[in-house]
Amino acid sequence: MLAVYKKELKSYFLSPIGYIAIGTFLFVFSLIFYITTISIRSYDMGNLYFNTARYGLLIIIPLISMRMFAEERKTGTEQLLLTSPRSITGIVLGKFFAAVTLVVIILAISLVYYVILCFFKAPNLVPTLIAMFGFLLVAMAAISAGMFVSSITENQIVAAVLTIVLVFLPELTGMFPIINLIDYYQKFPAGLISVTEVVSLLAYMIMFILFTIIVMKRRKSVK
Amino acid sequence: MIEVKNVTKKYASITAVNDISFSVEDGEVIGFLGPNGAGKTTTMNMITGFIEPTEGQIIINGYDISKKPKKAKKQIGYMPEGVPLYTELTVKEFVNYMAELKLLKGKEKKENVEKTIEETGLLDVQNKLIRNLSRGYKQRTSLAGALVGNPAIIILDEPTVGLDPKQITEIRNLIKELGKKHTVILSSHILSEVSQICEKVIIINNGKIVAIDTPENLETKTKEKNTLLVTVEDPNGNMQNLKEKIAEIEEIKLLKDNEDNTKQYSITSNNQVDLRKVLFEVLPKEDITIFELKKSEATLEEAFIKLIDSNENEETFTEESKVDKEKEKAEKKAAKEKAKEEKKKLKQENKKGGKE
Repeated sequence: MLAVYKKELKSYFLSPIGYIAIGTFLFVFSLIFYITTISIRSYDMGNLYFNTARYGLLIIIPLISMRMFAEERKTGTEQLLLTSPRSITGIVLGKFFAAVTLVVIILAISLVYYVILCFFKAPNLVPTLIAMFGFLLVAMAAISAGMFVSSITENQIVAAVLTIVLVFLPELTGMFPIINLIDYYQKFPAGLISVTEVVSLLAYMIMFILFTIIVMKRRKSVK
Repeated sequence: MIEVKNVTKKYASITAVNDISFSVEDGEVIGFLGPNGAGKTTTMNMITGFIEPTEGQIIINGYDISKKPKKAKKQIGYMPEGVPLYTELTVKEFVNYMAELKLLKGKEKKENVEKTIEETGLLDVQNKLIRNLSRGYKQRTSLAGALVGNPAIIILDEPTVGLDPKQITEIRNLIKELGKKHTVILSSHILSEVSQICEKVIIINNGKIVAIDTPENLETKTKEKNTLLVTVEDPNGNMQNLKEKIAEIEEIKLLKDNEDNTKQYSITSNNQVDLRKVLFEVLPKEDITIFELKKSEATLEEAFIKLIDSNENEETFTEESKVDKEKEKAEKKAAKEKAKEEKKKLKQENKKGGKE
């Protein structure tokens, strides 16, 4: 798992994708920071993360997850991975945690805004960290779904579009509230950890990781 | 040692590989030969555990690839068709990654990576991005990925496709070197390559094994006739009557009428008879001067085409029966549809009746 993890994380920064993801996040985050903090002088960090999750993840997640398996399948490097003495579970988890690490890096950078606010009036750190933790959980759930989509196609564009449909359409249209991830990110921004939300997001994530593993295992006999 | 036992691979409607069995001993260099779409890659993909056979068993050094994949896969270095590579990495990073995937660690990994890069002649480009390499170097990098970790078995799927002649010779020499230490399976549709490198050839066509033998044996086995090429000066036109003089000759054909008044003939006889001595004795007596006399060598190429053709002739029978089956199916379908339509009509009539 570690070998795959290291290589995948490196690949994000060897290709433009890592930088584009960070840039997109910072753009959306800064925009919302401007709208809320500078214009209406709100000190609510939670609100910042909430709105970024709502509008920023829509672009960042498909960007991160679309290449995970689709690219490997297209270029054939999948053969190198699957004929190596590594378990499919290890490969899937390695890729998943590499993508999660990218989100963690992005979140770490977002702390810059906390520091900026500290110059004026320091917001509470704990609620901010809880909001970030919630953001990470939502991102993990979305990545797992994106990873699953990426494992069933070899076209990255198709993977990206399907990810948007699967993960973000419920929020954009209000349909299928049960799989609407943003619905499970309501209490975190207020600095509260709700067991329902944590469990729901983790369950969503585990389900799609398992789906991905099943798809990859099945492909051996179907292909 | 690789044992392939009664392996079949079926896709929805096609049987890609049909009940093949063979075994490869340690240290052998084996060539997989067959036209495009014969099932070479499918077979190799099954041996490496990339895909699972529908039926049958593959055992690598005592480990079943589908039951103990980790241990079995550790024995194999695979260079897939089309040379898939992580083009965003440098050569060294790629080989290093492949070593890590093969569970190598620490000092052992470092030494192994360096040794492999040197062996495959990649020292000069080891810090270049794979994306920027020429085709030949890409091929070598892929080979290095297969070699790293010193696996007992090396499987190469069309290792020389797309290379220029010089690179082909280099890769071939490399494979020959490998054959001294490892078991090598390679696939190719270039026959001269296989006859040069391999000790044993497996010819596969339409998913079935047509022949397993040494290249030399295949050549002699499939040769039925002995053909001599003879260039002569024949002022009286006596060559045509030669058949009456030498009973063993089956056929004389004029091949070329050269400008310097010489003519080239091909003389065919039964496989067991060598006519060369007789010709040297008889021709001068007929006022024919021999300029050149040589044996026409049956090549592996001919053997290959012959074997595949004979295999395809057998197949036509089964194909005919397929056509029959399809006809039957079509008829059944038509009958079903008729029945459906009649039912519909009945229903409609019933409805009408009900309304009235």
